[in-house]
Amino acid sequence: MKILIAVSSKEYSGPTLSVGMNVSRAFKAPTTIVDVGEKINEFSTKDVGMAHERIESWDFDRPGVDVLEWAFDYLADKEFIESSDIEAGFPKNTLVDTGGNRCEVYLKGTVCDNVSLILRNGDIIAELKDEVQKHHYDVTIIGGSQIRRMAHDLIQYIDSSIFVVNKYDLNQKYKILIAVDDSPNTRKAVKYGTRVSQAFNVPVEMITVSKKDEFGDGYTNAANWAKKFLRRSNISFGHQYLVGDPVQVIYEVAGDNHIIVMGSSTQNPLLKFFKGSKPLNVMETCKCPILIVK
Amino acid sequence: MPLLSNKVITEVLYWVTRKKWLVISFLLSIILFYLPSPEGLLPEGHRTLIIVLTVLILIISESIPLPAVAILILIMEVILGVDTADGVASSFMNDAVFFIMGSLMLAVSIVHQGLDKRLALGIINITGNKTWRIVLGFVAVSAFLSSFIGEHTVAAMMLPVALSLIRNAGLETNKATPLSTLLLFSIAYGCAIGSIGTPSGGGRNVIMIGYLREFGLVNISYVEWMIFAYPLLLLEIPLAVLVLWFTFTPTQKIMDSAVRKLKVHVAKTGKLTGNQIMAILVFFLVFLGWVFLSPIIGLGIVALTGVFFYLAFGLIEWKEINRNTNWGVILLFGAAISLGIQMKETGAALWVAEKTLITLELIFQDVTIVRWFVSVVLTGILTNLLSNAATIAVLGPIVLDMGGDPLIIGISTSIASAFAYLTIVASPTCMIIHSTGLVTSSDFLKAGWKLFLISIVLLFLVSYFYWPLLR
Repeated sequence: MKILIAVSSKEYSGPTLSVGMNVSRAFKAPTTIVDVGEKINEFSTKDVGMAHERIESWDFDRPGVDVLEWAFDYLADKEFIESSDIEAGFPKNTLVDTGGNRCEVYLKGTVCDNVSLILRNGDIIAELKDEVQKHHYDVTIIGGSQIRRMAHDLIQYIDSSIFVVNKYDLNQKYKILIAVDDSPNTRKAVKYGTRVSQAFNVPVEMITVSKKDEFGDGYTNAANWAKKFLRRSNISFGHQYLVGDPVQVIYEVAGDNHIIVMGSSTQNPLLKFFKGSKPLNVMETCKCPILIVK
Repeated sequence: MPLLSNKVITEVLYWVTRKKWLVISFLLSIILFYLPSPEGLLPEGHRTLIIVLTVLILIISESIPLPAVAILILIMEVILGVDTADGVASSFMNDAVFFIMGSLMLAVSIVHQGLDKRLALGIINITGNKTWRIVLGFVAVSAFLSSFIGEHTVAAMMLPVALSLIRNAGLETNKATPLSTLLLFSIAYGCAIGSIGTPSGGGRNVIMIGYLREFGLVNISYVEWMIFAYPLLLLEIPLAVLVLWFTFTPTQKIMDSAVRKLKVHVAKTGKLTGNQIMAILVFFLVFLGWVFLSPIIGLGIVALTGVFFYLAFGLIEWKEINRNTNWGVILLFGAAISLGIQMKETGAALWVAEKTLITLELIFQDVTIVRWFVSVVLTGILTNLLSNAATIAVLGPIVLDMGGDPLIIGISTSIASAFAYLTIVASPTCMIIHSTGLVTSSDFLKAGWKLFLISIVLLFLVSYFYWPLLR
């Protein structure tokens, strides 16, 4: 299990980093924190690079390093990295240029294997997709965005589970809401949801939603399996069968105090592209974080 | 088992969404190819315009890398029968391309010398500690230097000076304030204003000089260009300062402690080194070469001679030049110039010029105003969307085919392509200051539209009242 946490600024990415590192702790997963800076027009890449080299010679950090430094301070403060790394301070001088507008710093983790800090520049979807593809991440954690296209692209193109830390309040107590149905990714969603609930030490609520009044074998079997799994994991949980439009029902149950966990849609990508999907609609409608498990 | 897995379909969808403009331009070019050539336009001209349209879409959308656009131009010119492979090759490389290549390499060589600290001291010694004087100094020095060296070089050297003053003023260098915005725009706009001053101020000036000469219209020397353009540059400096000051008025009217700290910091670097003195000397010789030798050997060869001296004297290593030179841009400008020449030779430029004049004359009723509108306003707008050199390479042959005094039209167009005030992508200088995270795209619009309009009015006044006196 490998986790990628995408941050953008200290003003807005605090909740994302906090949630992300707690999830990393739950999975004891090697974690990478990435800041994707704005795309630089191709006419100007070399000129901007040259200007950045000059500002570094005046002891200024190149843009984006401040975000990594803030992330380092967070990791140090919460002791996610080893004390020797903390004592040495943020190692901006060992920010290694790994090519393709990508710089990286390695740190030895405590609760997880290791933590890397990465700086990239370019289109956010393209950069995250590239990072996930080349380094085989299982979960990508990112803050919420108001841009519909971005949510759509994240779910459609990033080849990992996606955790969108949407409107997360650090002071609020959240519960885990797992949507269980007959889709192939439900079991994985239940497993992930369980680990997240352990990480945050919160109870789980499960719902199985059907548009019709009756629940088929697929639904009931999935729900029974999920209950058994949670019982074995020693997690306190509740379960309800609900009838209605799944997106609307999940929205109403989740409110603003749940972390939603659900499996990704397995329908044809062309259909998803043009019509959207249930997880995408839930992500756009709900006012709370959502983990879509692939 | 489905024919294509979901993963493959997803990858194809991703490719299509990212490359949609490539697909659109490809389909559009096929449709246009099979349409009959418009009346008065030769088939070669028709095909050249198809290439122009394709290239414009690809450059603006950035859907493929710039070197790929350059290569596509050359391929399409041959495959569509616009010219032979040898003809395309000979139009691809000329003095303007040598100049762009040489000036980009000179930029790397000069920036590498670390002269920015000297520059900082020089500016501060002249301006003192009043903020408005520092802003004036930034605009004036950026303008003066970029009129000779090239704007991105100056911006790269000035940027740390501005950031240092911001930090010394007790402000964060990653949080925008009116002072930081003001200082950074002083650099960007100063550089843009300065780049009109001499032919070596920007590749676009050299491209226009090349067109004027190649099309047999007029020869203009380095000094003649300066006589035409420098007064406008001098007029623009105080106006730019006023626009910037009243748009981003800072609370810090005096920067006493910031200036003192900067002086202390710079003083630690000691005296000019032998290499730095030699680097300045070589550039001074290059400047003399541009003034006195360029009519004989060309601006590009002079620039390359400078690069040769920097390398031969060990002032910079080739790997450093190789690493920091944007070869893709050189390829693209070479290909764009080749396309411009084909536009002229196939009559495509003349056809577009005539159609534009006829259409716009219905609106403006006066051919002189139409010419001026296309050469200045349209160029100014395009340069903010495209790239100034690419704009001149494509628009140059068209405006020069519109009639009127080619020298006045040519210089006006070239100067208007420096009005890169409105967007981040307008020039590398704008991108450099934006990359600090201290200026946003709305900041560009806030100050840019005022300076854009002022510059157009000034250019109008200079071209109608001053330039005719020089003819």
